[in-house]
Amino acid sequence: MLQTLPRRVVVALLALSVFFPIGLVLYQSVLSGPFFMPATTLSLESFVFIFEDPDFWSATKNTFAIAIGMSLIAIPLGAILAFIMVRTDLPGRRWLETPIMIPIFVSPVVLAFGYVVSLGPVGFFSVWFQELFGSVPWNIYSLASIIVIAGLTHVPHVYLYSSSALRNLGSDVEEAARLSGASPFRVARDVSLPMVSPALLYVGVLVFFLGFEIFGLPLVLGDPEGHLVLTTYLYKLTNKLGTPSYHLMAAVATCIIAVTFPLVLLQRALLKTAQRFVAMKGKSARQRPLALGVWRWVAFALILGWLFVTVIVPVSGIALRSVVSSWGQGVKLLDVLTLDHFHAVFEEATMIRAIVNSILIGTLGGALAVGGYLAIGLVTHRKNDGITRFVDYVILTPRAVPGLMAGLAVFWVFLFVPFLAPLRSTLFSVWFAYAVVWLAYGMRLIQSALMQVGPELEEAGRLVGASRARVSRDITVPLIRNGLLGAWLLVFMIFEREYSTGVYLLSPGTEVIGAQIVSLWASGAVDVVAALSLINMALVGIGLAVALRFGVKLHD
Amino acid sequence: MTDKTILTVDNLALSYGSNPILKGVSMHLRRGEVVSLLGPSGSGKTTLLRAVAGLEQPHTGSVTIAGRAIYDAAANVDIPAEKRELGLVFQSYALWPHKTVFDNVAYPLLLRKVAQNEIAQRVHKALKNLGLDHLAERYPHQLSGGQQQRVSIARALVYNPPVILLDEPLSNLDAKMREEARAWLRNLIVEMQLSALVVTHDQSEAMAMSDRILLLNGGVIEQQGTPTEMYGQPQTYFVADFMGSNNVMQGRIADIRGGMARIDLDNGLSVWGLRRTNAAIGQGALAVVRVEQVQLADTPGENRTEVELSTSMFLGDRYEYVFHAGKDLLRAWGKRHEDAGKRWLEFPPEAVWVF
Ligand SMILES: Nc1ncnc2c1ncn2[C@@H]1O[C@H](COP(=O)(O)OP(=O)(O)O)[C@@H](O)[C@H]1O
Ligand SMILES: [Mg+2]
Repeated sequence: MLQTLPRRVVVALLALSVFFPIGLVLYQSVLSGPFFMPATTLSLESFVFIFEDPDFWSATKNTFAIAIGMSLIAIPLGAILAFIMVRTDLPGRRWLETPIMIPIFVSPVVLAFGYVVSLGPVGFFSVWFQELFGSVPWNIYSLASIIVIAGLTHVPHVYLYSSSALRNLGSDVEEAARLSGASPFRVARDVSLPMVSPALLYVGVLVFFLGFEIFGLPLVLGDPEGHLVLTTYLYKLTNKLGTPSYHLMAAVATCIIAVTFPLVLLQRALLKTAQRFVAMKGKSARQRPLALGVWRWVAFALILGWLFVTVIVPVSGIALRSVVSSWGQGVKLLDVLTLDHFHAVFEEATMIRAIVNSILIGTLGGALAVGGYLAIGLVTHRKNDGITRFVDYVILTPRAVPGLMAGLAVFWVFLFVPFLAPLRSTLFSVWFAYAVVWLAYGMRLIQSALMQVGPELEEAGRLVGASRARVSRDITVPLIRNGLLGAWLLVFMIFEREYSTGVYLLSPGTEVIGAQIVSLWASGAVDVVAALSLINMALVGIGLAVALRFGVKLHD
Repeated sequence: MTDKTILTVDNLALSYGSNPILKGVSMHLRRGEVVSLLGPSGSGKTTLLRAVAGLEQPHTGSVTIAGRAIYDAAANVDIPAEKRELGLVFQSYALWPHKTVFDNVAYPLLLRKVAQNEIAQRVHKALKNLGLDHLAERYPHQLSGGQQQRVSIARALVYNPPVILLDEPLSNLDAKMREEARAWLRNLIVEMQLSALVVTHDQSEAMAMSDRILLLNGGVIEQQGTPTEMYGQPQTYFVADFMGSNNVMQGRIADIRGGMARIDLDNGLSVWGLRRTNAAIGQGALAVVRVEQVQLADTPGENRTEVELSTSMFLGDRYEYVFHAGKDLLRAWGKRHEDAGKRWLEFPPEAVWVF
């Protein structure tokens, strides 16, 4: 709760940071060439070009196939997983809670790379499988494989929302149904499922939306057989025509936003209904878990199987690949063990810069971003006016822009605005892009921390004579210290995991591990990619360990 | 208003969206007086208190404290809450969990830039007044509910506000402590000569604690007066019903004689009572009589009517008898256990109200 002037400054800066880059993309999409060229005119020829390009249409088709296919896989699996974890006597439930979340925190490009080195034609698991059974029945590069992997790695997203909906569902409503004569199965079908269906609907739209902006998986897995999706199509456009084809890229970006923005608005509306449902929850006395009998071991095996495929296979593949010089049929592991890849990483200045920058952007950048999110949170806290509603929508807008495009837009901003140009090749530009891309995520963390503060604690401050600003400083902020620490750790992990946003901002001085991996992957430097991927996962892992140590909840 | 008036609320109206919550409330509070805002849940008591405190935004009317307009819709005056110099004790106490008891109470003085040694002295005096001196270094979560409440009062009093506002101050205490706390709080207010506006939904609490009661109903003041007036001379059915335990019976006016009316009840009885309605003979009306005013008798007599005693219940300090009369269940109190059977009930006409 700041005074009016700082409030206006914060809101103006926020609106500028969000709308200027996006506005630039939309503007660029209706120009006949890159915006900095003097001869460009207003025209729709960029749209004409991409609409006449068969690659665009096949990318569109693949994008929909992936978004729909992965939803069909992730939603039932995630919902079942949530039900088993929350409502049954599955052995080791507490112990499983953290591993289940891991796929969310591993960079998708790293994960995809892990699948290549594990299940690719000469991957570890492929080779072992072939030695045992003679042949390998899967092809990791097919569209179907991409869909399955995307589906399996998005199970945690579904799990997250459905489990919290299930937890919020008061057990009294279920017990009432039991007492009126319903079997456990009928209770699940007639009471529990309808009551969590708003949450499932929300998460369905969310997963579809995430499928629409997926980038790392199809970039790595779709390349060998040429399966393009809209984001990779956009990425390939950069090199396709030789000259900077900004207007074409902007046109593709505009097409993507035309789909994602309505989806974001839909999610917002659905989330509101879901929360209204939750608000009707009864008092939940400690629930007696449903006894699964022998089925508990089947469920346990299923979950372990899923964890094996989505976490252990790719992660162990990367760990192995980073310490072997080569791999293939007939190669003995002990003969090829080496630490050369790590030496190579630590001998090259670019790589060291990438690692240092990644750490800086996670720690310092994370703290700065949380500070910015906090400022936005405070100026809208307990103020239900036009400005607050405006900020609500501003926060939501970057959600509709995939990281790759947001990075591109920010790159253009730093190219376009003269006094920002010197900052383009500094880490500031990367930090700015990250902070904008993760605005909605960070704001959710801050806002849920702020919501925990009882309004009467702040009102009591006002009554005894503190101005709004004083109340923020002396009461609100000290009360959410823990929430801020948690937000910082989560933002750290998210910033370490981020890869696509830095792609277009990659230049000497602005290297971060994620973007570096994308660029090295294109050049085929598998050894270094493996080492960097492992380092990247280690950084996220450290963040995760510290977060767990401080009891930070990984979800709300 | 006399010059003893410290708080005046004039025609205050407030809406949430298009939903009117306060529909023109006027009241005043004199120096050293305790006034209760009483009313059922949702009647707007808290809203009125918060509007006075500056935490809610009315749209018409005015609020004046010690001659200073702190809100006046017509003159466009709206002093922010922190400049109103009022003390508010929240229903939840609203102690800041990250500050010790001492720091909680010291904060208002800190904001007023009082010198450090004076702060220490005044905080300790405030804590001592409330019997909390030994708890100064504790955190709120280390205190019992009653102690938290006293810290909250100390915090509201430490800067000597002209008026102290209390929102359901006793509702978070358990039933037994509530009666003791009620006496303690009344005593504190009187001894410290505070002017207090107290919100409560409990009529016995309001009667015990206050010099005057304002009964709110649906955003308007239904009646105001001293506790004895409110209890003994209710002007409307709502007030009669709210202020005590009653027998309420439906019927039709059968006879009118000056201030008295006879009502033929649907349960077959017929009683005389004080006329509080303009309904004419033959029109529907309600007869209301306090449970303690109904007398049990063994023989017929004036104003007595025959009823069927169905059961006696032991309440500790008395018995409660339950009678059948037509479709109604009637209640009366007495000192002894009574067996079921035929009895007579006496309805003294001056204790029956006909609305
Ligand atoms: N923030 C709010 N928004 C909308 N309606 C509200 C809000 N707060 C209270 N109300 C409504 O205002 C009415 C009066 O509330 P309140 O003053 O809290 O009643 P009381 O304290 O007498 O129980 C109630 O009908 C309540 O539903
Ligand atoms: Mg209330």
